This record gives sequence, C-alpha cells and structure tokens, in this order.
Amino acid sequence: MNVAQQIINGLVLGSGYACIALGWTILLGVARLVNFAHGQLYMLGAFVTWFAIAKIGLPYPVAILAAMIVLALLGALMQTAMMRLVMTQNLTSLMIVTLGLGYVLQGGSALLFGGNPQTLPGTLARAKVDLGPLWFTWQDVLVLAVTLALYGVVWLFTQKTRYGSVIRAVAEDPKLAELFGVNARVVYLLVFVFECSAVALGAALVAPRSPILTSMGFNEVIMTFVVVVLGGIGSIGGALLAGLGLGLFTAFFGAFVAPAYTTAAAFALLLALLVIRPAGLATK
Amino acid sequence: MTVIESQTPSRTNSPLPRAVITLVLIAVGFFLPRLLGGTSVAYSTLTTIAIFAVMCYGVDIVLSYLGEVSLGHTLFWAIGGYTAANLSVKYGLDGWTTALATIAFCLAAALFLGAVTLRTREFVFSLVTYAAAVVAYEVAFNWDAIGGSDGIVGIAALKLPLGVATFSGASQEDLWPVAFALLLLTLAFIARFRRSRLGTTALMVQMNPALAASLGVDPRKVRLAVFVISAPITGLAGWLYAYQRAYVGPDMFESYFLVMMLTAVVLIGRRILVGPLIGTALLIAQQNLLSLGGDWNKIILGSVLAIVLIFWPTGLAGLFRRFSKSKF
Amino acid sequence: MNRTIALAVGLLASLATPVMAQDIKVGTIFPLSGGAGPDGQTVTNAVKLMVGQINEKGGLLGRKLVVISKDDERTPAVGVSRANEMIAEKADVVIEGWNSPVTLAMQPILARAGIMDMTAVSKSELILGGETNPYAVRINSSNGFDAEVIAKYVVDTLKAKTVAFLTQNDVYGNGFQTAVEAEFKKLNFAGKVVLTEKFAFKDTDFRVQLTNLKAANPDAIIVTNSSNSSGLPAMVEQYRQADLKSTFVGAVGIMLTTVFKVAGDANNGIVSADIFFPDLAPFTSIPESTAFVAAYKKAYGADPDKSAALGAAAVQVWAHAVETTKSLDRKTVAEAIRGKPVKGTVFGDVEFLPNGQMKPRYVVFKVVDGKNAKLEALP
Repeated sequence: MNVAQQIINGLVLGSGYACIALGWTILLGVARLVNFAHGQLYMLGAFVTWFAIAKIGLPYPVAILAAMIVLALLGALMQTAMMRLVMTQNLTSLMIVTLGLGYVLQGGSALLFGGNPQTLPGTLARAKVDLGPLWFTWQDVLVLAVTLALYGVVWLFTQKTRYGSVIRAVAEDPKLAELFGVNARVVYLLVFVFECSAVALGAALVAPRSPILTSMGFNEVIMTFVVVVLGGIGSIGGALLAGLGLGLFTAFFGAFVAPAYTTAAAFALLLALLVIRPAGLATK
Repeated sequence: MTVIESQTPSRTNSPLPRAVITLVLIAVGFFLPRLLGGTSVAYSTLTTIAIFAVMCYGVDIVLSYLGEVSLGHTLFWAIGGYTAANLSVKYGLDGWTTALATIAFCLAAALFLGAVTLRTREFVFSLVTYAAAVVAYEVAFNWDAIGGSDGIVGIAALKLPLGVATFSGASQEDLWPVAFALLLLTLAFIARFRRSRLGTTALMVQMNPALAASLGVDPRKVRLAVFVISAPITGLAGWLYAYQRAYVGPDMFESYFLVMMLTAVVLIGRRILVGPLIGTALLIAQQNLLSLGGDWNKIILGSVLAIVLIFWPTGLAGLFRRFSKSKF
Repeated sequence: MNRTIALAVGLLASLATPVMAQDIKVGTIFPLSGGAGPDGQTVTNAVKLMVGQINEKGGLLGRKLVVISKDDERTPAVGVSRANEMIAEKADVVIEGWNSPVTLAMQPILARAGIMDMTAVSKSELILGGETNPYAVRINSSNGFDAEVIAKYVVDTLKAKTVAFLTQNDVYGNGFQTAVEAEFKKLNFAGKVVLTEKFAFKDTDFRVQLTNLKAANPDAIIVTNSSNSSGLPAMVEQYRQADLKSTFVGAVGIMLTTVFKVAGDANNGIVSADIFFPDLAPFTSIPESTAFVAAYKKAYGADPDKSAALGAAAVQVWAHAVETTKSLDRKTVAEAIRGKPVKGTVFGDVEFLPNGQMKPRYVVFKVVDGKNAKLEALP
C-alpha cells in the first residue's frame, strides 16, 4: 500500500507543478516571452486570494476569480510597460526587467501583507478523503481536475482554432504578422494577461496546501523551469506530462533515495537532458 | 535588437596626457578612503565596492559581448569563496596559491558549463546556467566536507608572500590595497579585451551573425571562449570576499548577488568600461548609506533594473548622452 | 506596514537626534523584514523594553542607554554591512543573531573591532568554537543539552521501543540527531532507531516522508524543523492528516508562537521541550520572569515567547556584567559572564559555561490546546 500512497503523493505534487507551470508554458512556447517574476506572481496570487477570503470575507470561488482579475490587471500593466522591448524582441532585457519586477513585487507584498505566515481558510485543503489506508484531500482532487481541464481547453484553443495560429505567427515575426493585419501588441498583451491570471488560478488552488509567506515563490519558479524545459519549450501536452512525471519522480526519489536532494536531482536530470536533447523531451 | 554604443572619441589626442590622467585617477582612487575621512566604514564600504565591482565584470563580459544573461555566475563567485576558505583553513595555503586554485577551478567549471550550454541560446542558456547554480548550491549546502549548511569559519588573514616580505591583511584598511589592485587589474583586462580580436569578434557574432559566419568565424568557439574567461574574474572577487568576511557559507549563491551583478551592469549601460564600477558604487551606497529597510531596498533595486531597461535601454550613460546632445 | 514605516521613521529620528557623548549604545541586528521579520521584531522589542527599564532605574554606570536597531534581512552579506555600521557608530555592545549564517558572518567583523557580541538565538555550534570570537556569549540553548533532554524523555518517560527521526538536512538538524543518538548510547537505550527521513529547510510538503514513517509505525518520531513560519506548521498538519499514531516529539525550541497560530489544534499531543514559557512553572514563580511578561504584555499587547525572553536576557546578562565590573570593555565584560553564574534574569538564576553558553533549565511539555497555545508541563 506504500507504493499506492506514494503514487497519490506524486500525482498531488505533479498536478501542482503542472498547474503553476501552465501560464509560463503558453508565454514561453507560444509567444516566445519569458517572465522571471512568475514565482512572485504566484506569491501575489496566493496573497490576493487570502486577502479576499480572510479580510473581505468572500467565499473561496469568488476569491479565486478576484485573484485572477487582480493579476490580469497587473499583467496588462506590466506588459504595457514592457511593450517596446517585446516588439523589438529584446529578450535579454526582458529577462532582466521581469527579474527586477519580481523583486519589486516581493518587497511591495512584504510591506502590504506583512511578514507573518497566513493560511487560506474556507478551502478544501482540510477536507480529507480516506480510501482504506490511502488518503488525500478534496483540494488535491480539485487541483488535478482543474489542471487536466485547463490543459485540455488550452490545447484545443491553440491547436484547433484560428487564434492559435495567429499567436504563433506573431511569435515567429511580430513585424511580419502586423503586415498581414494582425495587431501584434494586442496578441502579446492577451497572452501575458493569460499567463498572469493562469498563475493566479494556480496559486489560489495550490497555495492552500501550506502556509503562505511573502518570501515564497522561489521554489515554485524553479520547479516551473524544470517542467517547461523538460516538456519541450511550449509543448502543452509535454508540460502536463513533465509536471506529473516530475511529481512522481519526486515522490519515488524521495521514498527510495533521499527526499532532501530532490531539487538537485531534478535539476541534474534537466542538465543531462539538455546535453542530449537541447530542445526538450517533446521533440522528435 | 540591441543598441550599439558608439565609441565616444577620446578627448585627449596624444597618449601622454591620457596616461597622466589615468595615473592621477588611479592615485585619487587609491587615497579615496582617506579622502573620505579614513574611517573603518569608508574603508570597508570602498573595499566592498571594489570586490563587488570585480564580481560584476564577469557578468558584464557575457552580457555586453555575448548578449546573453548568465544566471550562473554566483557559481563562480562561490567557487572563489569556497576555494579560498577551504584551502586556507584546512591546508594553511597562502593567498597566491588559493588565487591560482580559484582560477583553475573557475576555468574548469566554466569550460564544462560552457560546453553543456554551447547549443543553447537566450532563455534556455539563462535557465541552464541558473540550474547549474541551483545544483551547486544544493551540493555546497549538503556536503559537510566543504562547509555544509553552516559554512566555514575562521578564515585567517590574507597572506601574500612577496619575495622577501609577506603582505598580510585582515582588517578592511589592510585589504583595501589588494581590492584596489584587483579592481585595476580587472579594468586593465577588460580594456584589453575590448580591443582584442576575441572581443571584437564576439561583438560581431552578437550583432551580425551572418557577417561573422561569412568571415569564417565559428560562433560556438567564440561563445565558449568569452564565457570561460569571464568566470575567473567573478571567481577572484569571491576569493577576496572570503578573506574580507572571514566566513564563507552557502549564502554566496543567494539571488542578492545575482541581482546586484545584473543591476550594476545595466544601470550605467552595457559596453562602458567603468559602467559596472559606477553601478556597483551607486547600489552599495544606497544600501549602506540610504537604506530604507530590506523591503524598500528590494523595491528600489528591482525598479531601478526595470525602469532603466524599459525607458533608457542604453542605461544612465545613454540618458546622459541624450541630454547633452539636446543641449548643444 | 505601519510598523515598517514607524521603524523607518524611528531610524531616521535616531540618526537626526544627536546622541549624547556619554550615552551607552546597545546595538541590535536581527531580521526586521521578510519572512523572519516578525521574529526579529519580537527580539528587538524585548531588547528595547529591557533597555527602557534600565534607563528608568537610572541607567548603567550613571549613563543612559540608547538602542540602535538594524535589519540584517536574513542575509549574511547585509549583516556584515550592518556590523560595520555598528563599528562606525561605536556601539558598546551588539545583540544579534536570528539565524546562524548571519551570526557567523558578523562575528569576525565585530570581534576584530573589539565590540562585545551577544548572540541571542542562533544555534550553530561554530559560534562558540572560539576561532573567530574568543569572547562569544550565547543565550539560546545548544544542541548538546537539548539532545540530552529529548533523549531522556523518549527513553525514560515514554519508554519507546522503536524510534524514527524526521530530520532537517542541515548542520542544525543532522547535528541534533547525532547528539540524540549519542545520548541514546549513554542511556543504554534498548530499543531501535527504525528509520531516518530527511527533508530540506524550504520544504512545505512532507507527504512522501510521512508515508514512509507511517509504514514504519515507530513509538516516537523525533522531529527537527526550524522553519517555524511555514515548514513546521505544514508538517504538523500533514502529520495529522496522514493519521500517524506515533508520538510527535519536537526538538527543543521549535514550537514558537507562529506554529500555534498557523497549525492550531493539529498541534495537540505534540511533546517538546523549551527553556522559557510565560505561563508555566517554574517561570510563573520567578519574579523577574513574571515582571517581564507583564511589562511585555503591556507594551506590545501579547505574551512574550522564548525569542523575546532571549533578547531580554541578553540585555540583563550584559548589564549585570557591566555593573559588577564597572567597565564596558569587551574582555572584562565577557570574562564576567563566561563560566560565571548570573542572578535575576528572565530565565531565573542561570549559569554560563566557560565557552559562553548559557545553561538553561528545560521544561518538557505536551500541547493540550493548540489553538490557544495551552501547554501542560510533563514531569
């Protein structure tokens, strides 16, 4: 039964990784943009959700929506500020700018929300399910279900609709796409807004599992790196598989080798893979 | 597209006055702590600025001449610190030996990392260098033989045998000449690099890969060479930092140093010789003299980084140039 | 937020008002921002309270005390800058240290400048090693004594036959485990250590380890976890959710206020030990302790926890040594503390070992009402 429980633990961890990584996958893969403030956006999403529940008194589902809206607005603001760099495809500067904005978000949230740890009340993180000797929470079920549904919807949207090819055209060459009558600025703005609200959703779902602090975000962003690169930059199915796979890897590496070294092991795996296949797992 | 800096024509035409000006600047620089009152804070602040500036020059080479963001230079910084600490505490080796070992280890690590990342560009390069730093951090944190999570204490004073006499320095006042010399050496090295074949070729590869290819340049070789020579610069800064602080721990991998490196380089503008030095001086001065508390310092550091790159991609130097142009 | 502004204003004000030449300067360096900010503020507040009380009684050596408080941002490099500032401002004593790396980085700087350095909280054994600071003094308990108390409880009181460790994989966690295992040998422990599970300080998900521990089902699980604001409360909750039957034995001093605030009733049944309690015997019958609790409550509206007591005791111990020696000199003051008894601290009458370590008195306790942080002392 130990193995069965570890599989559950792995799926719980992995669905969390995949859920948080979705926004980045789209941003990086479809629009070829990077956002090193991702971890701090996750933190902010969690704190906005907490604020909405604990301070304003909104029910959990409404609080999730509130967090998504707040972060979408923030994302629109960030992207508008960075638009010139995006249009000139100055990726080096973009990376550093988002790193700096992450610092600003962290400092600002610490001033705004204080340094105390908080827990999110009213979520399903304490609603436990027992299946014989196995256990998980309804929150875990919710995370897994929403993650699978989201990846499905996003996959359909980018692969099966006209909009998906428009976004890819913009990523390929924004200037050329504009010649064909596509407003590249709007496309970039929408993609970035999607990234921010997706991470807010991820935070609202995953963060209730443990106490939240304004100093968090680092672990989440490095796990997102691993998921996105392992899955093959921008491959939606790849990211989902990589997220779940990484969760199972963490659980079994932890159960049979040494849980304290899982981050290092995941990164070593990533380094090794990049040497063999620089474009990630999903490439043929 | 990155903006190409036009080389400012030097105002002095003959080499002699230029050498005199450089010498005067060096002399003023050397006596700066005394000119600022000669207090221990003046010495420690300026020593820290010199060390951190050298640290930033490693990143500067990669960012300015390859156009890549290395998020892994904290690794070389830590290699310097850990090499100095371990070799001096456990084997009692002098400063020259630990410095040579630092250079050797940094070259080896950079060669490995450079070879691994040879085929990666842009964000993948950044991610992989970052991953390398994370793995190294976990190793340093968990491996008790090189210090473990508590690090290494009791690093003795820096000893540099100079033929008959031996330089020995522990206090900030003693270390200032060493830090200053290291800074001058680094500046001289960077100035030489800018004019070297490698420096100009690297710039060409970054700006116009097609031209570089048509001239028969192998961009991979150039990238690897630039990355490899950048590592010992940051490494030597870490080496001296270990003696200055007399304590080395896994905190040398912290993003505090990483963000410091990137900000110092972009603040004044890329491809400006003294840019990183001035950038470092401004940042350290803000943190030490005008500190508003940890959270506000984060906001300031982050906004400086973002605002400069968004509004003045050529840095403060570009801004200054624009102002002076509009006046005349 | 208001507190930070108040702090900034206070700092500016303290810079602006000229300090009288004869004032004695008490410096504090703790994290005041970020995740450890609330903890550092607690210690700093306690120092300020004690200094205020000394001033009300006419100061020290006929001179007034002033507090200079600085933020190390939990970053060693920043701590070093702050230590240098203390030297520039000519502090007479520096009370510092929430986490060990920052203390270890500041120690040589302060020692070279000849400033008396009192470590309040940081637990690393290297601090008292004497290599960088031959006059080190530390108030918080050390892993060695902590391990003795915990091992004794597990072997003699709980009479556990099987024991497992859930250990933080760093010098603190591993050091504590090694010390407990050494004590087991000394106590001729007849049982068995069946499993050791490790985790990293930053971890917040422990299901993998807890699943293994549940399968092993030992009588007691000895836990080290110094991440009091996120890792430990998460661990406690998951421990209850995974429904482990083993007794959760927490290492000394990990059950801080934040753990009770965040994990609430999930803490019920945890056994641990500590060196200060505002509401447990024998501290309720120590007049200095009850006076401190009352004054702290009046000033800050909450019970002082162990961290606060450590800050207060650092001031008391130092002030006592200054008063008896009539000196502010580092060597003189340190020699009056190291290896000597000190009467009338918030910890009661205490004694310092020759290496500068305070010898605390321990109380083993069980959590009975986690939500309200109600504890019951165990014999």
